[in-house]
Amino acid sequence: MLGFTAFWLLSAPRPLPASAIPAHTANIANGEILYTTGGCRNCHKPKAEQAGLDPNLPSGGFPLKTPIGVLYPPNLTPDAQTGIGNWSDIDFVNAVQRGISKSGQHLIPAFPYTSYAAMPVEDVLDIRAYLMSLPPVASPRREAEIPVAFLLRRGLGLWKFVGLDTASWQPDTSQKPGWNRGSYLVNGPGHCGECHTPRNLIMARDNSRFMMGGPHPEGQGKVPSLHGLVETGRYKDQKDLVLALQNGEVFGYEHMSSGGMGQVQANMAKLPQADVEAIAEYLISLK
Amino acid sequence: MLSKNLFKSITAGAIVLGLGFSLAYAAADDQIKARQAEMKANGKAIGALVAIIKGEASYDAAVVKASLDAMATADAAAGEAKAWDASSMEGATVETWAKPEIWAEGSDIGAKYQAWVDARAALAATTDEAGFKAAFPALGAACQSCHESFRRPKG
Ligand code: HEC
Ligand code: HEC
Ligand code: HEC
Repeated sequence: MLGFTAFWLLSAPRPLPASAIPAHTANIANGEILYTTGGCRNCHKPKAEQAGLDPNLPSGGFPLKTPIGVLYPPNLTPDAQTGIGNWSDIDFVNAVQRGISKSGQHLIPAFPYTSYAAMPVEDVLDIRAYLMSLPPVASPRREAEIPVAFLLRRGLGLWKFVGLDTASWQPDTSQKPGWNRGSYLVNGPGHCGECHTPRNLIMARDNSRFMMGGPHPEGQGKVPSLHGLVETGRYKDQKDLVLALQNGEVFGYEHMSSGGMGQVQANMAKLPQADVEAIAEYLISLK
Repeated sequence: MLSKNLFKSITAGAIVLGLGFSLAYAAADDQIKARQAEMKANGKAIGALVAIIKGEASYDAAVVKASLDAMATADAAAGEAKAWDASSMEGATVETWAKPEIWAEGSDIGAKYQAWVDARAALAATTDEAGFKAAFPALGAACQSCHESFRRPKG
């Protein structure tokens, strides 16, 4: 009984207080760039059979298969009943950066809040402003198909002590602005490490093997390392990598389509030129 | 003697069965190897076209034709070898990156394959550099969209 009480206390969600929201004038254009980099729509899109729903809007419901079961990422459009229409700023920030739902439950880290936690709160508010600018779509949530979801969710509170690093991303002042922008996009919104950094026994990212590749987190095949992309001859130089990220296999670049990378690449194609160059500059610095 | 005969027929049966199994292995392995050989040929063939797109080589109608012919030959050889039959996934001993979803119900592998055939035909119909450059992305996109759905990453 004592053990259970300790579990219950330790695993309780620890949301940010409303005072964590800074005074901020939302920048919708910045929000859209981060929404694209973050691949939010890739997971929160509607299911193909949900006829009549615009596949370009994040109205949710597309099944996300994970080793623990099938999840249905919910509606992110501003619909008041089924979307985030009546969420406050702090509700949204707690979901995206702490993995805590509006109703105060732990969210499953298949939702990569473990990377989004590194973003400044202002950027997350910009994403929210962008989402609120979209047309509302009514599409009710569908519960995840996972065994003992209730206990699993609660148990995540313990996992978060090691699996969720809440430190914000920090620039490296010895590096150029382009490199820093790339480092931010890759490690924050881009959540590239969620696939490219292998996981340890408790399924937390193993930063001693940062971006070194490994088994695919969704269970099929392997994710390549992002170290030495130029040294190993995979890409000629930064320019070549930029072309690869923007065009993928449409330009004959191999290893840009399978295992979810195709969607990431399609998002890269939509980013401003300077941002893709920054990402490439940062990636080729990983020796 | 009955028991001796029985023993003999069991042994013979076991040998036949064993042979059958190893034949199945060999068949599936050959199918996979044929599939991968087809794709390696595709990879090689597209390389020459990409060089033109990126401006590393100048446009040459003969190179375009040779590359498309190589893809058509690879496609035909794979068909011949039953490289895309579901039987290629049964009892194989060599590694394959093809996803079993290819053969699952409701799979749109046929449409993805047709898109590739159509893109090749459209490219073959071009006669100058501008036409080639306009038609090429559809070919690359056909490779990409099939891999996105039906190939596991190799790592
Ligand atoms: C890899 C897939 C994936 C990506 C990428 C992703 N999400 Fe999610 N998201 C999920 C899943 C799965 C859930 C539900 C988790 C659960 O049920 O515990 C979720 C839940 C949420 C929730 C909570 C919603 C609710 O009603 O409880 C919000 C808010 C959210 N995501 C916002 C975002 C934003 C913003 C982005 C992009 C910056 C994003 N997500 C990117 C998979 C994803
Ligand atoms: C959903 C998992 C996932 C995420 C998230 C992801 N990748 Fe990938 N990435 C892969 C897989 C799988 C491959 C191999 C694809 C293939 O072989 O077709 C890959 C391949 C690559 C390659 C090619 C490597 C090579 O050897 O040529 C690059 C570059 C790359 N990813 C960069 C990124 C960047 C930058 C991000 C973040 C913006 C990112 N990836 C996010 C899974 C992912
Ligand atoms: C109809 C689906 C489909 C189309 C179209 C397609 N591929 Fe593939 N490709 C696959 C599958 C499946 C595999 C994995 C085969 C295996 O391992 O058994 C593969 C593997 C590959 C490989 C890796 C081969 C190896 O074993 O190293 C290359 C390279 C490749 N494809 C290039 C291409 C190119 C280039 C195109 C377009 C010109 C193309 N593919 C079109 C399905 C397709």
